[in-house]
Amino acid sequence: MLDIESLVTRYGTITAVRDVGLTVRAGEVVCLIGPNGAGKTTLLATVAGLLRPSAGRVTLDDADVTGWAPDRMLRAGLALVPEHRRIFSDFTVRENLLVGGITQPASRRHELLDEMVSLFPILKERLSAPAGYLSGGEAQQLAIGRALMSDPAVLLMDEPSLGLAPVLVDQVFDLIGRLREGGRTLFVVEQNAKRMLAVADRAYVMRSGEIVADGPAAQLAASEDLFETYLGQSGGTA
Amino acid sequence: MQADRVRHAVAPALGSGLLFLFLVAGSLLYAATGDAAANSLVTQMLINAVVVLGIQIYIGNTGVLSFGHIGFGAIAGYAFAICAISPERKLRQIPNAPFGLAEVDFTPLQSGLIAVTLTVIVAFLIGLALSRSGARSGAVAAVVITLALLFVVHEVARNWIDLTRGGKTGLSFSPLGNATLQGKLPIYLILLGAIGLARLFKETRAGRLAQAAREDDLAARVMGIDPAVQQMIALLLSVVVVSAGSALRVFELGSINPRLFFFDYTLLTLTMLIVGGRNSVVGALTGVLIITVGSELTRNLSEVDIQGMNWLLRDGLTDIFLGGAMLGFMILRPAGLLGDWELDHWSLRRLRRTEPPPVPPPSTDGDQTPTTVLKVTNVTVHFGGYQALADAGLEAASGEIVGLIGPNGAGKTTLLNVITGLVESDNGQTALGGVILTGVSPHVIARSGLARTFQNFRLFSALSVRENIGVVRLVAKHFRRDRPLPPVGALMAQAGLWEQRDRRASELDYGNARRLELARAAAAGPEFLLLDEPTSGMSDSESRAMIDQVRSMAKLIGAGVVVIDHDLNFITGICDRVYVLDQGRVIAVGTPAEIAANPAVQTAYLGTAE
Amino acid sequence: MIELIQQIIDGLGRGGIYALLALGIAVIFGVMHLINFAHGELITVSAYTSYWLFASGLNWWFIAPTVIVVAVLTAVIIEFVAFRWVRGAPDFTMLMTSFGVHFLVQALFVMYVSANFRQFPRPGWIFDTWRIGGLSLEVFDLAVIAATLVTLLGTYWLLQRTMFGVSLRAAAEDFDTARLMGIRSNRVIRGAFVLSGVLAGVAAVFWLMRSGQAGPTAGLNPMLKGVLAALIGGLGSLSGAVLGGITLGLVEVLLISRLPGGTAGLTDGIVFLLIALLFVFRPQGLITVRRVERV
Repeated sequence: MLDIESLVTRYGTITAVRDVGLTVRAGEVVCLIGPNGAGKTTLLATVAGLLRPSAGRVTLDDADVTGWAPDRMLRAGLALVPEHRRIFSDFTVRENLLVGGITQPASRRHELLDEMVSLFPILKERLSAPAGYLSGGEAQQLAIGRALMSDPAVLLMDEPSLGLAPVLVDQVFDLIGRLREGGRTLFVVEQNAKRMLAVADRAYVMRSGEIVADGPAAQLAASEDLFETYLGQSGGTA
Repeated sequence: MQADRVRHAVAPALGSGLLFLFLVAGSLLYAATGDAAANSLVTQMLINAVVVLGIQIYIGNTGVLSFGHIGFGAIAGYAFAICAISPERKLRQIPNAPFGLAEVDFTPLQSGLIAVTLTVIVAFLIGLALSRSGARSGAVAAVVITLALLFVVHEVARNWIDLTRGGKTGLSFSPLGNATLQGKLPIYLILLGAIGLARLFKETRAGRLAQAAREDDLAARVMGIDPAVQQMIALLLSVVVVSAGSALRVFELGSINPRLFFFDYTLLTLTMLIVGGRNSVVGALTGVLIITVGSELTRNLSEVDIQGMNWLLRDGLTDIFLGGAMLGFMILRPAGLLGDWELDHWSLRRLRRTEPPPVPPPSTDGDQTPTTVLKVTNVTVHFGGYQALADAGLEAASGEIVGLIGPNGAGKTTLLNVITGLVESDNGQTALGGVILTGVSPHVIARSGLARTFQNFRLFSALSVRENIGVVRLVAKHFRRDRPLPPVGALMAQAGLWEQRDRRASELDYGNARRLELARAAAAGPEFLLLDEPTSGMSDSESRAMIDQVRSMAKLIGAGVVVIDHDLNFITGICDRVYVLDQGRVIAVGTPAEIAANPAVQTAYLGTAE
Repeated sequence: MIELIQQIIDGLGRGGIYALLALGIAVIFGVMHLINFAHGELITVSAYTSYWLFASGLNWWFIAPTVIVVAVLTAVIIEFVAFRWVRGAPDFTMLMTSFGVHFLVQALFVMYVSANFRQFPRPGWIFDTWRIGGLSLEVFDLAVIAATLVTLLGTYWLLQRTMFGVSLRAAAEDFDTARLMGIRSNRVIRGAFVLSGVLAGVAAVFWLMRSGQAGPTAGLNPMLKGVLAALIGGLGSLSGAVLGGITLGLVEVLLISRLPGGTAGLTDGIVFLLIALLFVFRPQGLITVRRVERV
């Protein structure tokens, strides 16, 4: 579905992503874990089109989408739930969802809106409330719902549990589980490695801009030296 | 030391002299070949050069966009005219002038001095207003305040008929006997002064600090620079030059009216400044030359009659040229033709060749200085409803290297921001050697002995490596005299930047940029270096090398270190003690080994599988 | 009391036009962080259009809609020729670019028309007044207030109820995230310029009905009023811009009636001074726009 080959991203003189390759197959939940500063967010921003890669290729369903602008990526079927959610806080919940579906024809947009409301019942009561008043967990659900409004082939998520209280973190992972059961294709960047591995099919570990380990999620989760791999204590591989 | 004097004083002074000679020689040659019109064109150009240099001193060094300098010019012009016009002429033009101004009688020189003094007083008040509004590069508030000055002065000049004779007629000198500038000596003297002042100001302490703040206001503050002070100095000097130029302009024209110092002249002078390069003195002068020649050519062209070209070659072509030049340069080359290049930069290459390699200074013995303790207690911070820090704190002693780790969003950078005064905490306290630094401005905290780096580094990007370090050392020489302050060369060598010493910070690669930021913080002569992710974005081998870098840098200046990082290899390799933050709280403190074995820490990083 | 009501109505008549101008400036600032000092050029172009159309014997009923179309076209052209190329540039560059456009358009008119102002007839009814009780209501003020209300309601509907409005507001709140939602930068920015052109066009019709003249600097005064009103409102805020415009109109009317004789010419200067003072003490404007700097 989504293939990334030898991707390199630089900001000015900084190489944040070095020669990264990974694959997300249809219907899979793939996660990318690793410490802060590893280049995970940069990788997602590149895939979503917010940054231009200096080298490498991104293909979606065998179509080369490398270097496309974000609005084109979205139309091609890649939607990103950005880090820190970035919901439009001056907007109502409903408007946030409608913006998400801006590329859809009007009738389809309202169908999708109904779908989202049934997927996220908590948003139903708040449809006409300003999104700025939502709690962190509700805002995260809204951000995910907003991205799903474009009916994407692959949903990219950046740190969905970041900055949430533990009980809300539970909700987010439940939600990822539900999306997986719904047959969605997800590519999730997450720092809460153990929790993420529990709901993912496969995982990649990124450190210093490079993929240092990958494999089935369950296998990585069971690995004794995950902590070392993750934080580079001994530079070992799983 | 010797080389420094050449770099910052002798070469710029010689360069300015040379520049002045070029200008004078060119002007004399052109005037000699031409008629009276050519003579007057040259005079106007030289006067405009003075005004543009004046504006350059402010905009070039501070980066603050001012539309008000011509407003200062108007004040100076009127003050000059009202003082210099003879009493009998004043009786005819402005018999009801207030404050008995109709009777005063001054020589042009006296009038000029009065004009400059008065304008500088006004500039001081405007400067206070600008600093109150937090002026910095590109700030909207500064644009509004300076535009307001331009307009208010204009309105007053048009409406205060008793003083200015209003907008229709204006005030006039002629015939004043010696109304033209005889032999142009005053113009040449003032021009020489303006060139020298503009060029040398760039090399003064105030000028260099202002440029640092222009490049990055926030980084300048946390390095101990108070931009408001430097901006005020730049403004006052700049206004001295602008008012002298404006008085000359009025003198030369023999009359003044409100339109003379309004939008059109603002456009002309700003375009001159921008085309050549606003950050450079030779750039400003080049701009004056190009725009003068261009305007003159287009003016002549507009009188030419060529079949089929009449749609273009007609009156108004000059204004099109001006507007087009401003727009074209902003779109295609916003830094202007010369950027920040100066004539005397020619000599630097030679200076660089003969520069002896730095002698590594004896590193200070940790025992020489008494132990100082940085103590941060009970810090709580809320952003809206989000609690970033809950009762967090840390303690570090000089000579010690303390790590601060924790998962993304744990509040590590926020804690550093609280310590350095960039974020206000709800409660809690920072004390350095018993001195409480809570609620103090960032630049005062920096001067008290805390220097930091940033997660996404913030260098003074248009300045050279040498200058990035040099400018901070200038501050330290003033406020941190009792600390070991290694020479700039030694710091560059220590950071492995000796070969890149004259490159711009923006041209450095990632690792070098990180090391420069470390060296810059060290140049501040702090008791503690606060480093925010010094290895982020580095490869494993670079991070390993950074361990020695940080250690030896800290030893060189005898400082303690507080370091945030995610690379456990680095943290383990460098730290004596480590604090672990999670969700705004300190959840563990201990040696790196203790921390690595602590199950709570593993949970904080990896989460639990339910 | 009557006097105050009278002044409020006069102020609303002025302020309405300012609000329209300020709103156009705020819309553009919202999507590209540019203070459009070239906004007045839309008025200048409209003024010449009116002049020429009058000279060809047409009347206000034809001219008014044409002026709006011309203002929109001018806005789109200016965006395409100049502002597109400095998108995302430092504030200094964008400010100087918009000044450059301002001066260049002015110079084009000096070159191809004349530096002198030209008069055209104002509609007769603008001098009519209705007397109700002690109030003397200028028909013109009432027309401005009505037209402003209609335009603002239309704009409100556009921004709140249409997908274009939603995408414009989304881009103004968070440009990158808006792009992630599939909003096209070029299209939304052009849309913002079209909207600002319509608002300026409506403002131009009334401005010109009152002034009845066209000249290269015809747009300077309306531009300044619009920018000042937008600044009062905090630049990025759309409702702030409208409030800023109304406030500016009211303050001007109150100042004019209260300043001692002979100093009424200083009204503009005093207003400018007040706004500068506002910026000295509240650099972010009356209505604060949140902006968090991450370090």
